[in-house]
Amino acid sequence: MERRELLRLLAIGSALPVLPSPLLAACRKIHASLAETPALKVFSPHQNATVTAMAELLIPRTDTPGAKDTKVNLFIDHIVADWYPDELRALFLEGLTNVDSRTQSLFQRDFVDASPSQQAEILRSLGDELAQAADAVAGNPRGYRGSPPEPEDNFYLQFRRVALTGYFSSEAGFSQQLREEIVPGSFNGCAPVESATPSKGS
Amino acid sequence: MAIPKYDAIVIGSGITGGWAAKELTEKGLRTLVLEAGRPIVPDKDYVEHVPAWDMPFRGMRDRKKLQKEQPIQSLCYACEEVNSGFFVKDTEHPYTSDPDKPFRLIRGRQVGGRSILWGRQSYRWSDLDFSANLRDGIAVDWPIRYADLAPWYDYVEQFAGISGEALGLSQLPDGKFLPPMPLTCAEKVVKEGVAKSFGPDRVLTIGRVAVLTQDHNGRAACHYCGPCHRGCVTLSYFSSVNATLPAAEKTGRLTMRPYSTVHSLIFNSQTRRITGVRVIDTQSRAALEFNAPLVFLCASTLESARILLNSATPEFPGGLANSSGELGHNLMDHIKGGGARGTIPGLEKMRTTGERPNIAYMPRFRNVKDKHRDFIRGYGLQAYSFQDGWGRGAAEVGFGTDFKRRMSEPGPWNFIFEGYGECLPSHQNFVEIDKNCLDAWGIPSLKIHCAFGENEFALRKDMSLAAAEMLSASGAQSIQSFRDTDPPGFSIHEMGTARMGRDPKTSVLNVWNQSHDIKNLFITDGACMVSSGCSNPSLTYMALTARACDYAVNQIKRGEL
Repeated sequence: MERRELLRLLAIGSALPVLPSPLLAACRKIHASLAETPALKVFSPHQNATVTAMAELLIPRTDTPGAKDTKVNLFIDHIVADWYPDELRALFLEGLTNVDSRTQSLFQRDFVDASPSQQAEILRSLGDELAQAADAVAGNPRGYRGSPPEPEDNFYLQFRRVALTGYFSSEAGFSQQLREEIVPGSFNGCAPVESATPSKGS
Repeated sequence: MAIPKYDAIVIGSGITGGWAAKELTEKGLRTLVLEAGRPIVPDKDYVEHVPAWDMPFRGMRDRKKLQKEQPIQSLCYACEEVNSGFFVKDTEHPYTSDPDKPFRLIRGRQVGGRSILWGRQSYRWSDLDFSANLRDGIAVDWPIRYADLAPWYDYVEQFAGISGEALGLSQLPDGKFLPPMPLTCAEKVVKEGVAKSFGPDRVLTIGRVAVLTQDHNGRAACHYCGPCHRGCVTLSYFSSVNATLPAAEKTGRLTMRPYSTVHSLIFNSQTRRITGVRVIDTQSRAALEFNAPLVFLCASTLESARILLNSATPEFPGGLANSSGELGHNLMDHIKGGGARGTIPGLEKMRTTGERPNIAYMPRFRNVKDKHRDFIRGYGLQAYSFQDGWGRGAAEVGFGTDFKRRMSEPGPWNFIFEGYGECLPSHQNFVEIDKNCLDAWGIPSLKIHCAFGENEFALRKDMSLAAAEMLSASGAQSIQSFRDTDPPGFSIHEMGTARMGRDPKTSVLNVWNQSHDIKNLFITDGACMVSSGCSNPSLTYMALTARACDYAVNQIKRGEL
């Protein structure tokens, strides 16, 4: 198979119900040889690896698939490339650089090379700053229909927002983790939480 | 002269055009429906079950494309990633307004028009509404009262299928309801809290909605998937495509012509009648003409006004059928943007299952029995209750297994009250033709001059105060009142550019939605409205359309039309 053809298939891979196994094998081979994800739009392989690791820490694989299984990194790359306004894209990419520089200053290595506990510590430090940023804007004017203000210029907020969207809008996130159905068939306005068919939250 | 192929032409296939098509064909008239947009085939075009993972932006919409092609339409909540094609491209459908008076015009051009997209709230108006102008000495009096319309409300409700709860309120007459949808736990809390503090004059009830709660007239009951504005393959909500047009089709007397933008009407000054309709085929761009002895203009409040203004003749230099000078004037839209939100405690162990395509509703309580010192008329409150979902996790700081589990469970219960207030008719709020602004087919567009006035702003202020007060009485927490600056047009309840009235000197249409000036011209969309009421107007448009069709056909039978 031509590599170009393979790249094309990979780019639309999420739309394929099942990848034929020879294709999968070919993918693995090319992955190994290139050591990069060919469908990336804006992330460098290193940025992609960083985002992949951060997203998996946020939403790990448990008894259901996690961020990596659901290719949340590719969704984030797509949104940062094709949806974000220029300023937000710059903020996001700068935020990724900052993740490495703070890991460097604490542990003398990049985020992707840090141990799981070191990575967790980095996320906690990002979280502390997010909490402070949230406090700082708490008194700002409310948004549309009285929605609470959020620190929109905080990288970690933006990362979490897009990562959560990527995960919970994936088929596994929706069907396995949220246990939702496209066609519930009935409505109950006040059911015990243990109910099997929840509403779509967001 | 050739014998006309059609007995009637209906312009537009939205909520009123669909009704006109059904009524006229069922009464024996060979009817041509001219629709500016594309055909809609439910099995092919409805997209309500497309999962997020099959959308390139997972429901976040193609922001850059929308910003370029649909910057106005995409402000509407219903303009989503998979259904933005049900809204016009702003680039093809420009309009202008005064810099200090923005107007937000949301449009759908396809078979079914905006009936595919509407919010489906369906309320009868009462004599509190129909006598309001007379009582206040504003504009002109409605030429009808509730009793004139009541049988037609019965008629359209029984066909459309409206679910709701009968309340026995004078300001919001009960209808022929299908079983109501249930309230949520949060709505029950607020309903009880408000009843306890404010007595029986303030009732929170389930929305009266044109969504079937049981099989009805060959259409299936709702399956609670949620996004009605993307279509409905089971035809469970009322729209022209789902209900009236198939009924018209069944008669064998319907000719539907999509891709047919009406440019103007042709007036014969000898017979003083409309003799034809000028159409531009939007695909071939050919200029065509269609003829029939009866014309129902159902193109929407602003499009109908535009067509008549673009049809000016030496006899009617200010627009066809405009001897009164009121054509294009008295544009209204409900004022919204006032309300309050809060969280409802104590319901942590409860959740909703399924997606209810409906809100809760508090009928007007101001100026019903009492008299408010700051404003006349009133507002109804729409209520939304929902639990926070995984989206709340963005602003939290947790991560990992436990965070993932928590975000998969519903969060706090939110409750939002939002008012829809009556807008007074004013001659100063009007549209005219902007000859310098052409649409994609070269037809002059509208310049819209419209702004809310003191009374509307007083209503908006009271919405936010009263809503916060009622949430407080219901034990809500973190109460936040809001007053947003939604411009006119954004309630998408625009109405009033060709009002009804008894006097041809001050109104465009008579008591039967018939032009005072041109007997074979009827306008039954929102243009005909004399005041705006405060409850959603579509059901009233439907009733007026069915009533006008009945009158027109009776007149034809008597040889008087």
